[in-house]
Amino acid sequence: MASSLPIPAPPRTPTPPTPIPEETEEGLGIDGTAQTVRSTISFDPNALSPAVDSISGRFGSMASPMPPSTGLNTPSLGNDGMMAPPPPTGGQRSPFNFQTQAIKDTPAISNSNIGKRRGHRYKHSSVSTQHQIFTEPPPRAPLALPASLPIPTLKEAWTSRSKEQTRRMAWCACHALVAMYVLYSAAGSLALTALSHLIFFDAISATICVAVDVLCNFEVWKRSSIRHPFGLQRAEVLAAFAMSVFLLFMGFDLISHNLKHMLEGLGGHEAHHPHSHQRVSPGSVDSAALLSIVATLTSAYGLKNHARIGKTMRFAYISSLPSILSNPSHFLTLSCSTIMLLLPLLTITLYIWLDRLLCTLIALSMFFLGVHLAIAQGLMLLMSYSGKGVGEVMYEVNKEPMILHVEEARFWQVHYGLCMANLKLRVRGDDVSLQKLRERLNFLIKNRLGGGYGKGASMKWEVTIQFTIER
Amino acid sequence: MASSYALPASAMTHGHNHGHGHLHSHSHSPGRQYSANSPRSLKSERSNGSLHAHSLSESHLEPDHTHSHHHNHSRVREPSPSPYLPTPPNSNGLPPIAAFEKQTYQTYELSPALSQASPYEPPSQHDHHEHSHNHTATSPAAPRSRFTSFLLPFMLRWPLLHTILAEKDSRRIFYFMSLNFAFMVVQACYGYLTDSLGLLSDSIHMFFDCLALGVGLFAAVAAKWPQSERFPYGFGKIESLSGFGNGVFLMLISIEIMIEATERLADGRETKRLMELFVVSGLGLAVNLVGMACFGHHGHAGHDHGHSHGHSHSHSHEKSHSHEGHHHHHGEPCQDHKHEHSDSHSHPHETHQLLDSAPPKAHSHSHDHDNENMHGIFLHVLADTMGSAAVMVSTALIHLTGFNGWDPIGSVVIAVLIFMSSVPLIKSSARKLLLTVPDETEYLLRDTLSGVSDIRGVASYSVPRFWVSDGPVGDGEKLFGVMHVVATRGSELDEVRERINEFLVRRGVDVVVQVEGIGESGCWCGSGGTGKSPLAQ
Repeated sequence: MASSLPIPAPPRTPTPPTPIPEETEEGLGIDGTAQTVRSTISFDPNALSPAVDSISGRFGSMASPMPPSTGLNTPSLGNDGMMAPPPPTGGQRSPFNFQTQAIKDTPAISNSNIGKRRGHRYKHSSVSTQHQIFTEPPPRAPLALPASLPIPTLKEAWTSRSKEQTRRMAWCACHALVAMYVLYSAAGSLALTALSHLIFFDAISATICVAVDVLCNFEVWKRSSIRHPFGLQRAEVLAAFAMSVFLLFMGFDLISHNLKHMLEGLGGHEAHHPHSHQRVSPGSVDSAALLSIVATLTSAYGLKNHARIGKTMRFAYISSLPSILSNPSHFLTLSCSTIMLLLPLLTITLYIWLDRLLCTLIALSMFFLGVHLAIAQGLMLLMSYSGKGVGEVMYEVNKEPMILHVEEARFWQVHYGLCMANLKLRVRGDDVSLQKLRERLNFLIKNRLGGGYGKGASMKWEVTIQFTIER
Repeated sequence: MASSYALPASAMTHGHNHGHGHLHSHSHSPGRQYSANSPRSLKSERSNGSLHAHSLSESHLEPDHTHSHHHNHSRVREPSPSPYLPTPPNSNGLPPIAAFEKQTYQTYELSPALSQASPYEPPSQHDHHEHSHNHTATSPAAPRSRFTSFLLPFMLRWPLLHTILAEKDSRRIFYFMSLNFAFMVVQACYGYLTDSLGLLSDSIHMFFDCLALGVGLFAAVAAKWPQSERFPYGFGKIESLSGFGNGVFLMLISIEIMIEATERLADGRETKRLMELFVVSGLGLAVNLVGMACFGHHGHAGHDHGHSHGHSHSHSHEKSHSHEGHHHHHGEPCQDHKHEHSDSHSHPHETHQLLDSAPPKAHSHSHDHDNENMHGIFLHVLADTMGSAAVMVSTALIHLTGFNGWDPIGSVVIAVLIFMSSVPLIKSSARKLLLTVPDETEYLLRDTLSGVSDIRGVASYSVPRFWVSDGPVGDGEKLFGVMHVVATRGSELDEVRERINEFLVRRGVDVVVQVEGIGESGCWCGSGGTGKSPLAQ
C-alpha cells in the first residue's frame, strides 16, 4: 500500500546512517524512505496513536497476549518507542512516507544510533546529519498521520490466539454446556430454567471476555487511528450493552412464560409438569446447581468474567461482600444456584408455587440487573462520565488564580479503561507558569478522578487543556 | 411534516409554506408539471431553470414515486389544505422545483427524458387524485393531525406532554403507544372475562411492545436535551443507542422464535382454538398496521424486502383508493432518495437550512442520524405485523389442510426476515456508537490534518483524536476532536494555538488544542521533549 509509494525526498541532502528497525524484512521499501531523513527527532509510535492497554496489566493470568505474529496482517510495532529515525513503522501503514523534519534536539538519542550503524546504504550519505548543518526551507512536508490499521477478520483472529487463549475458549464452551445441562435437567422446573438462562448469560459474557483478549493481539484494538480514534475498545462496551439487552430479554421471556403457565393453571388446564417437585430426591445433591456454582466460580476467577463492568458499577448493599460476591452478576448467579442446591438438601419440596415464585424472583432480578447494566454501559456509550468528583474538580479549577474563565470542560468516559478531560480555559500568565498550571491541573484531575475510583487506579485519564491567553 | 400544522401557525409560517411546497411538488412529481408555490422554491426555480430539466428527467425513477406516495399521506393528514397549499393548476405551467437538489446535482445531463415523463401521469389526473384524497380520506392519520392541533393548546400545562406532542417523531411514537396500550388493556380485560388464553398472552406481548415503544419515546425526547456537565456531548447518540438496543432485541426475539418453532415442529403439537387465534391475530394485525402507517416512512434505509412487504399491506388495508398509483412504486428498490426526501419533508425548518446552505453530504448525514431510533421502532412494529399476518395465514392453512406444521414454518420464515432486517440497523448504529469516523469524513480529516502541519509554528503533533458527534436534530454532524501540538522553538504558543484553531474551525472541526513548547515534557501524550512517555503505554 502506502509503503510502495515513491520516495519524495530530494537526494541532495546528506543522509544519516540508517539504523535498521527490527522488521527489516518487511520494511525494505521503507528502509529506503528512512534513509532520506535529513534530521531526526526521536519518534514515538505511541505519540500519534497511543495504545491504551488497560487490560493486560490488570488481569493476572490473562496478561499473556501473544506477541503479534508477523504472519498477520497487522505487523507489530516495536513497542520500545525509540525508533529513530522517524516513523519507519508509521510509514509502513500511513499513506505518506513523509518524515518529520524538525530539528533534532536530543543528541542523546542519535548517539544511541551509532551502535546500530550499518554503513551507508545510500550513495549520497557521506556526511552525517548529526552535525546539523542544514536548516530546513519553509515549505515542509506534512507530518506523519496516524496509521490506518486493518480490522482483523475472523480467520486472522482465530489463528492469532495463543495456547492460553485456546484453553479459555474451551472453557467458555464448557460453561455453555453446563447451561445446556441445567436447562436439560430442569425438566419443567421453572426456577431451574431461569437459572440456566443466567448461566447462559454468564457463558456468553465469558466468551466476550475471551474474544476481547484475543482481539488485544491486534494493533487496531488498542491503537488509535483516524478511523477509530479510540481503537476498537469501545466495542467491548457495546458488546456488554448488547448483553444487558439480552439479560433484559431473558427476564421478559421468563416472566411471560411464567404468566402463561399461571394462566394455563387458571384456565383449568393440567399443569404439564407434575413431576417437577420430584426432580431431585430430597436430601440429595442437585448436580445441576452444583455444576453451575463451579462453572461460575471458574469463570469468575479464571477468566475475570464481568470484572471490568463490575468495577464501573457497584451496588452499595453488596459491595461490602468479599471479592467475587461484590460483583452483582456473580452474586445473582451464585445465590440462585445456592438456593437451588440447598432446597433439596433441606428436604424442602419444590412445590409448584415455590417454583414459580423462585422463577419470578430470578426473572425480576435479571430484569433489575439488566436495567442497571444497560444504564451503566449506555452512559458510557453516550459519552458521559458517571463517576463522582467532577464538581469538586471544577471547583478546584475555578479557584486557580491564573484561570480567568472556563470556556468548556468536558469529562467523559471512552471505555472501561480510558477517560478524557477536555478543557478550554482563558488564562493569564507566561509560558512557564502556564506549563506549571497545566501540570497541576493534570495532576489534580488524575488524582481526584482516576485514583479514588474503584479499587486501584484502573482508569487512565487523557487530559487536554487549551489555554487562551488574555491580555 | 405534521408538526408544522400542529404548532401555532404564527411562529412558522415560512417553514410551513415551504414544507408544503415540497409536499406538493412531490406528490405531483410523476406528473411533472407542477411546482410548489412557496416563495423559496419559486426563487430557486427561477434561478436555476436548467436544473429543472434535470430534475424532471429524474422523474421516472422510483424515488419520486415513493415520494408521491409519502405525500399522499401527509396530505391526508391536513385538516384544511387551502390556506397554505398552492393550488396545483396555478403552477401548472411551471416545472417542478429543484426541490431535491441532490437529484438535480446528480443528473446534470439528462433532459430528453422530460418528454417521456409528462405522458406518464397527466397533471390533471393527478390533481384529481389529490383532491379525492383530501375529501374522502379515511386513513387513520387524518384525524390525528387535527387531533394534535386540537390537543396541543391544552398540553401547555404539562410541559412533558407538550414536548412529546410538539415533535413529529415522538408524537408518532406516543400516539401509537397509547393505541397499543389501550388495545392491550381491552384485550386483557376481554381475555380475562372470557377466559381466553390467546387474548391474554397476546396482551402480554402487547405490553412488551409498549415497553419497547416507551424506550423509543424516551430516546426521541431525550435526543433534544441540551449538553450538560454530565453529558458533555449532549444526547445525540441516544437514538443510535435505542436503535441498537431495539435491533439486538429483535435479533433475540427472532432467535427465540426459531428455537420455539423447531421445538413445536418436533413435538408436532396441535394448534388449538383456531378461530380464536385467527381473530386475535387479526386484531393485532389491525393495530400494527396503524403503526406501520405511522412509522412507515422512516425505516427505509437499506432493507428492501421487509419494507415493501409491510407497505403493501398497509396500503391495501388502509387506503384502498390510493392504491393504483402507489403499489408498484413501492416495491421498487431505490431507497436513498426517498429516504432523504421523506426526511426533508418532515422538518420544514431544517430542510430550509439544509437546502439553502449545506452540501448534499451533510444532508444525508443528518438524516441518517435522525432515523435510527425510528428505524428500530419501525422494524419492531413491522416484525409484529408480519407475525400477526403469519399467524392468520397459517391458521387458515391449518384449517384448510389439517397440517399442523404451517404455524412453525411460517414463524421461522418471519423470524429469518426479522433477523436479516435488523442486521443493517445494528451495523449502522454500532458504527456510530463506536465513534468510527465515516469514510468520507475520514478522507477529509486526513486532508485537514496534513494541513495542520503546514501551519507556521507547528513542529509536530500527537494524539490527534477526532470523532463525529451527532448534535441535536438540525445541527447535523459535527466533528469534535483533541490534539496536542508541539510548537517550534521561538514561536509564540498562543499564536500557534490561534492559528490552529482558526484553521480547524474553518474546516468544521471543534477541537481542543494543547500547545506545548518544544522542550516541555511530562504530558501523557509524550509529544514533548523526550519522546517516550511512560504513560503512553
